[in-house]
Amino acid sequence: MPANWGYVIAAYGIAAVALFGYWRHLARRARAVAARPAAKGRRA
Amino acid sequence: MTITRILGWLAAIGLIAGLAAGFGYAPREAIQGNVQRIMYLHVPSVLTSYLAFGLVLIGSIAYLATRRAGWDRLAGAAGELGVLFTGLTIVTGSIWGKPTWGTWWTWDARLTSTAVLFCVYVGYLLLRSLIEDPDARGRYAAVVGVLGAVNIPIVHFSVKWWRALHQPSTILGPEPSPIDPAIGLALFVNWIAFTLLFVYFLSRRMEIARREEQM
Repeated sequence: MPANWGYVIAAYGIAAVALFGYWRHLARRARAVAARPAAKGRRA
Repeated sequence: MTITRILGWLAAIGLIAGLAAGFGYAPREAIQGNVQRIMYLHVPSVLTSYLAFGLVLIGSIAYLATRRAGWDRLAGAAGELGVLFTGLTIVTGSIWGKPTWGTWWTWDARLTSTAVLFCVYVGYLLLRSLIEDPDARGRYAAVVGVLGAVNIPIVHFSVKWWRALHQPSTILGPEPSPIDPAIGLALFVNWIAFTLLFVYFLSRRMEIARREEQM
Protein backbone atom coordinates (compact mmCIF):
# COMPACT_ATOMS: atom_id res chain seq x y z
CA MET A 1 0.00 0.00 0.00
CA PRO A 2 1.53 3.37 -0.97
CA ALA A 3 1.89 6.05 1.73
CA ASN A 4 -1.13 8.03 0.46
CA TRP A 5 -0.20 11.04 2.58
CA GLY A 6 -1.86 13.32 0.01
CA TYR A 7 -5.30 11.94 0.86
CA VAL A 8 -4.62 12.24 4.60
CA ILE A 9 -3.46 15.87 4.25
CA ALA A 10 -6.47 16.69 2.05
CA ALA A 11 -8.94 15.23 4.58
CA TYR A 12 -7.35 16.98 7.58
CA GLY A 13 -6.94 20.22 5.62
CA ILE A 14 -10.59 20.33 4.55
CA ALA A 15 -11.73 19.51 8.10
CA ALA A 16 -9.50 22.27 9.53
CA VAL A 17 -10.85 24.83 7.03
CA ALA A 18 -14.48 23.81 7.71
CA LEU A 19 -14.19 23.85 11.52
CA PHE A 20 -12.09 27.02 11.66
CA GLY A 21 -14.46 28.64 9.15
CA TYR A 22 -17.48 27.81 11.30
CA TRP A 23 -15.70 29.17 14.39
CA ARG A 24 -14.94 32.43 12.51
CA HIS A 25 -18.58 32.59 11.32
CA LEU A 26 -19.81 32.30 14.93
CA ALA A 27 -17.31 34.93 16.12
CA ARG A 28 -18.42 37.37 13.37
CA ARG A 29 -22.09 36.78 14.16
CA ALA A 30 -21.51 37.26 17.90
CA ARG A 31 -19.71 40.55 17.21
CA ALA A 32 -22.59 41.69 14.96
CA VAL A 33 -25.14 40.88 17.67
CA ALA A 34 -23.09 42.69 20.29
CA ALA A 35 -22.75 45.77 18.07
CA ARG A 36 -26.44 46.10 17.16
CA PRO A 37 -27.83 47.72 20.35
CA ALA A 38 -24.92 50.21 20.29
CA ALA A 39 -25.80 51.18 16.71
CA LYS A 40 -29.44 51.74 17.71
CA GLY A 41 -28.27 53.87 20.63
CA ARG A 42 -26.16 56.07 18.36
CA ARG A 43 -29.11 56.65 16.03
CA ALA A 44 -31.29 57.66 18.97
CA MET B 1 -13.80 32.81 32.39
CA THR B 2 -17.20 31.57 31.20
CA ILE B 3 -18.10 27.89 30.80
CA THR B 4 -18.24 28.36 27.02
CA ARG B 5 -14.66 29.71 26.97
CA ILE B 6 -13.47 26.82 29.13
CA LEU B 7 -15.19 24.40 26.74
CA GLY B 8 -13.44 26.11 23.83
CA TRP B 9 -10.01 25.69 25.41
CA LEU B 10 -10.78 22.08 26.36
CA ALA B 11 -11.84 21.39 22.76
CA ALA B 12 -8.64 22.99 21.42
CA ILE B 13 -6.49 20.92 23.80
CA GLY B 14 -8.53 17.83 22.88
CA LEU B 15 -7.99 18.40 19.15
CA ILE B 16 -4.23 18.81 19.64
CA ALA B 17 -4.20 15.62 21.76
CA GLY B 18 -6.25 13.92 19.04
CA LEU B 19 -3.73 14.88 16.36
CA ALA B 20 -0.87 13.65 18.57
CA ALA B 21 -2.70 10.38 19.22
CA GLY B 22 -3.67 9.87 15.58
CA PHE B 23 -0.28 10.70 14.06
CA GLY B 24 2.16 10.00 16.90
CA TYR B 25 0.75 7.31 19.15
CA ALA B 26 -1.39 5.15 16.85
CA PRO B 27 0.60 2.79 14.62
CA ARG B 28 0.48 2.71 10.82
CA GLU B 29 -2.32 0.33 9.92
CA ALA B 30 -0.97 -2.90 8.40
CA ILE B 31 -3.24 -3.16 5.33
CA GLN B 32 -4.42 0.38 4.50
CA GLY B 33 -1.29 2.23 5.61
CA ASN B 34 -1.42 5.91 6.55
CA VAL B 35 -4.71 6.60 4.81
CA GLN B 36 -6.46 4.79 7.69
CA ARG B 37 -5.59 7.85 9.83
CA ILE B 38 -8.56 9.58 8.14
CA MET B 39 -10.65 7.37 10.45
CA TYR B 40 -9.73 9.69 13.38
CA LEU B 41 -11.69 12.43 11.59
CA HIS B 42 -14.36 10.41 9.83
CA VAL B 43 -15.70 8.32 12.74
CA PRO B 44 -15.78 11.16 15.34
CA SER B 45 -17.55 13.32 12.72
CA VAL B 46 -20.33 10.79 12.19
CA LEU B 47 -20.71 10.13 15.93
CA THR B 48 -20.97 13.89 16.51
CA SER B 49 -23.61 14.19 13.80
CA TYR B 50 -25.64 11.40 15.48
CA LEU B 51 -25.41 13.37 18.73
CA ALA B 52 -26.45 16.58 16.96
CA PHE B 53 -29.48 15.05 15.23
CA GLY B 54 -30.43 13.26 18.46
CA LEU B 55 -30.53 16.70 20.12
CA VAL B 56 -32.62 18.05 17.22
CA LEU B 57 -35.11 15.26 17.97
CA ILE B 58 -35.13 15.99 21.73
CA GLY B 59 -35.39 19.77 21.19
CA SER B 60 -38.17 19.32 18.61
CA ILE B 61 -40.31 17.02 20.78
CA ALA B 62 -39.78 19.25 23.82
CA TYR B 63 -40.70 22.37 21.81
CA LEU B 64 -43.91 20.78 20.51
CA ALA B 65 -44.80 19.77 24.08
CA THR B 66 -43.89 22.99 25.91
CA ARG B 67 -43.58 25.78 23.25
CA ARG B 68 -40.55 27.11 25.15
CA ALA B 69 -38.18 28.99 22.81
CA GLY B 70 -35.09 27.48 24.43
CA TRP B 71 -35.93 24.03 23.03
CA ASP B 72 -36.29 25.47 19.53
CA ARG B 73 -32.91 27.21 19.90
CA LEU B 74 -31.37 23.88 20.93
CA ALA B 75 -32.90 22.09 17.92
CA GLY B 76 -31.88 24.83 15.47
CA ALA B 77 -28.30 25.07 16.74
CA ALA B 78 -27.89 21.28 16.84
CA GLY B 79 -29.33 20.99 13.30
CA GLU B 80 -26.78 23.47 11.95
CA LEU B 81 -23.93 21.56 13.61
CA GLY B 82 -25.32 18.23 12.47
CA VAL B 83 -25.15 19.43 8.86
CA LEU B 84 -21.56 20.65 9.41
CA PHE B 85 -20.40 17.32 10.87
CA THR B 86 -22.36 15.20 8.37
CA GLY B 87 -20.76 17.21 5.56
CA LEU B 88 -17.36 16.48 7.09
CA THR B 89 -18.28 12.79 7.35
CA ILE B 90 -19.20 12.63 3.66
CA VAL B 91 -16.11 14.55 2.47
CA THR B 92 -13.60 12.65 4.63
CA GLY B 93 -15.27 9.35 3.74
CA SER B 94 -15.06 10.17 0.05
CA ILE B 95 -11.35 11.03 0.35
CA TRP B 96 -10.76 7.78 2.29
CA GLY B 97 -12.79 5.83 -0.29
CA LYS B 98 -10.66 6.82 -3.29
CA PRO B 99 -7.43 5.00 -2.30
CA THR B 100 -9.21 2.09 -0.55
CA TRP B 101 -12.24 1.42 -2.79
CA GLY B 102 -10.89 3.03 -5.96
CA THR B 103 -13.74 5.54 -6.20
CA TRP B 104 -14.70 8.86 -4.62
CA TRP B 105 -18.38 7.89 -4.44
CA THR B 106 -20.63 4.89 -4.94
CA TRP B 107 -24.37 4.50 -4.36
CA ASP B 108 -23.78 2.14 -1.47
CA ALA B 109 -26.52 1.93 1.21
CA ARG B 110 -24.46 3.69 3.91
CA LEU B 111 -23.25 6.46 1.61
CA THR B 112 -26.67 7.02 0.06
CA SER B 113 -28.52 7.07 3.39
CA THR B 114 -25.93 9.52 4.79
CA ALA B 115 -26.39 11.77 1.76
CA VAL B 116 -30.18 11.64 2.29
CA LEU B 117 -29.66 12.51 5.99
CA PHE B 118 -27.51 15.49 4.95
CA CYS B 119 -30.13 16.71 2.44
CA VAL B 120 -33.00 16.35 4.94
CA TYR B 121 -31.25 18.56 7.51
CA VAL B 122 -30.13 21.08 4.87
CA GLY B 123 -33.86 21.29 4.10
CA TYR B 124 -34.56 21.66 7.83
CA LEU B 125 -32.19 24.67 7.98
CA LEU B 126 -33.71 26.16 4.80
CA LEU B 127 -37.19 25.84 6.29
CA ARG B 128 -36.03 27.60 9.45
CA SER B 129 -34.55 30.44 7.43
CA LEU B 130 -37.72 30.92 5.36
CA ILE B 131 -40.25 31.36 8.21
CA GLU B 132 -40.18 34.68 10.06
CA ASP B 133 -42.75 34.01 12.79
CA PRO B 134 -40.84 32.34 15.67
CA ASP B 135 -43.71 30.09 16.81
CA ALA B 136 -44.60 28.90 13.29
CA ARG B 137 -40.89 28.35 12.55
CA GLY B 138 -40.51 26.36 15.76
CA ARG B 139 -43.56 24.17 15.03
CA TYR B 140 -42.85 23.40 11.38
CA ALA B 141 -39.14 22.85 12.03
CA ALA B 142 -39.94 20.57 14.98
CA VAL B 143 -42.09 18.34 12.76
CA VAL B 144 -39.27 18.06 10.20
CA GLY B 145 -36.77 17.54 13.06
CA VAL B 146 -38.82 14.60 14.39
CA LEU B 147 -39.42 13.04 10.95
CA GLY B 148 -35.78 13.55 9.93
CA ALA B 149 -34.57 11.58 12.94
CA VAL B 150 -36.04 8.43 11.36
CA ASN B 151 -33.00 8.57 9.08
CA ILE B 152 -30.46 8.13 11.91
CA PRO B 153 -31.10 4.40 12.56
CA ILE B 154 -31.39 3.86 8.79
CA VAL B 155 -27.88 5.29 8.32
CA HIS B 156 -26.44 3.33 11.23
CA PHE B 157 -28.00 -0.03 10.40
CA SER B 158 -27.83 0.32 6.59
CA VAL B 159 -24.64 -1.79 6.53
CA LYS B 160 -26.53 -4.60 8.28
CA TRP B 161 -29.84 -4.32 6.42
CA TRP B 162 -28.41 -4.12 2.90
CA ARG B 163 -25.36 -5.53 1.15
CA ALA B 164 -22.91 -2.64 1.28
CA LEU B 165 -19.38 -1.78 0.22
CA HIS B 166 -18.96 0.19 3.44
CA GLN B 167 -17.62 -1.92 6.29
CA PRO B 168 -19.99 -2.89 9.15
CA SER B 169 -19.86 -0.91 12.41
CA THR B 170 -16.66 -1.60 14.35
CA ILE B 171 -17.84 0.50 17.26
CA LEU B 172 -21.42 0.93 18.50
CA GLY B 173 -21.98 -2.63 17.31
CA PRO B 174 -23.22 -5.63 19.32
CA GLU B 175 -19.89 -7.48 19.19
CA PRO B 176 -16.69 -6.38 21.01
CA SER B 177 -14.67 -4.00 18.80
CA PRO B 178 -11.88 -5.74 16.82
CA ILE B 179 -9.83 -2.50 16.72
CA ASP B 180 -6.22 -2.60 17.93
CA PRO B 181 -6.07 -0.97 21.44
CA ALA B 182 -3.67 1.82 20.31
CA ILE B 183 -5.88 2.68 17.34
CA GLY B 184 -8.96 2.44 19.58
CA LEU B 185 -7.42 4.85 22.10
CA ALA B 186 -6.53 7.38 19.38
CA LEU B 187 -10.10 7.12 18.07
CA PHE B 188 -11.48 7.62 21.60
CA VAL B 189 -9.33 10.76 22.18
CA ASN B 190 -10.52 12.24 18.87
CA TRP B 191 -14.14 11.36 19.66
CA ILE B 192 -13.89 13.18 23.02
CA ALA B 193 -12.26 16.17 21.28
CA PHE B 194 -15.02 16.35 18.65
CA THR B 195 -17.71 16.05 21.34
CA LEU B 196 -16.12 18.93 23.30
CA LEU B 197 -15.90 20.99 20.12
CA PHE B 198 -19.55 20.23 19.37
CA VAL B 199 -20.68 21.30 22.86
CA TYR B 200 -18.59 24.49 22.57
CA PHE B 201 -20.06 25.36 19.16
CA LEU B 202 -23.58 24.49 20.38
CA SER B 203 -23.24 26.71 23.43
CA ARG B 204 -22.00 29.68 21.35
CA ARG B 205 -24.63 29.17 18.64
CA MET B 206 -27.48 28.99 21.17
CA GLU B 207 -26.25 32.12 22.94
CA ILE B 208 -26.14 34.03 19.62
CA ALA B 209 -29.68 32.83 18.79
CA ARG B 210 -30.91 33.90 22.24
CA ARG B 211 -29.45 37.39 21.84
CA GLU B 212 -30.82 37.72 18.30
CA GLU B 213 -34.32 36.88 19.58
CA GLN B 214 -34.10 39.62 22.21
CA MET B 215 -33.57 42.31 19.54
